[in-house]
Amino acid sequence: MKPVDIYTCEETFRRLEDYVDRELSEEESKRVEEHLEICAACTAEFEFQKEIIDAVRVRMQRIQTPPSLHGKVLDALRQARQESSR
Amino acid sequence: MGQKWREGPVTEMHQNKQDDAAFEDLLMPLLDVSYGMAFHLARNREEAEDLVQETAVLAFRAFHTFQRGTNFKAWLFKILLNCFRTQCRKRKREPTFIPLEDAAELYLFKQDVSIQARGTGANPAAIVISKMREEQIRAAIGALPEEYQMVCILYFMEELAYQEIAEALGCPVGTVRSRLHRGRRMLQRALWDVTEAYQMIPGTGVQSEAML
Repeated sequence: MKPVDIYTCEETFRRLEDYVDRELSEEESKRVEEHLEICAACTAEFEFQKEIIDAVRVRMQRIQTPPSLHGKVLDALRQARQESSR
Repeated sequence: MGQKWREGPVTEMHQNKQDDAAFEDLLMPLLDVSYGMAFHLARNREEAEDLVQETAVLAFRAFHTFQRGTNFKAWLFKILLNCFRTQCRKRKREPTFIPLEDAAELYLFKQDVSIQARGTGANPAAIVISKMREEQIRAAIGALPEEYQMVCILYFMEELAYQEIAEALGCPVGTVRSRLHRGRRMLQRALWDVTEAYQMIPGTGVQSEAML
């Protein structure tokens, strides 16, 4: 039986980004999920959004920290400490 | 690196070795993510290293203002962002803007659907995602106006929650939500511009592999 309070496409669409970001309440998330189960168009939009976000995140986390950075920061802090104690 | 960080005020707190150790305990585990963020902002390894060092020293000098028990990461990022803004002003770096009115709702999604409708037999969105290079994505994010760029970097790279982004940027959660919404629209437009520039989509250009 169809739930009486299920979100419409518009109501779901308005919440998709927050849903992807897990920023919705448990109740709202549940209602979005109920809509996605029966709506191919909103599911396609949801999957597309999530795919883009995941892909960007994967690529943006590839930055390698130069091995020398830790030493440089510690040197800079040591110097700052010496100057502050003068 | 520059000498500006040597000019800060001297406080007795800095002479306390216990505080120094506490500061380093909080700071050092965050160096990698700080560098990542600095690199995304500066888009240059040397500038990113300078930015992290300068941020570390500024944070050390301001550590007496940090409220124990609050979010050190958000506090540190706030200093890093301010530091970056100062560097930009000094270098007179002008951001490249993407007109928001050109970034329709779900821009990339609509392009994706449009191309699929032409019967190329491929999923253009999947191609965009899988073939885009790191620097191309960074360039797309770097082309956003600063307030959107900052939110997107904290969101995509650090995977911070809206509340954490709000703390780092010193703005309400509602502002983060709206900037992120608009930022994502602009990013979709920027990503699409990259795919067109490099002719990455079959059916829209001559080559999809040669530029990658």
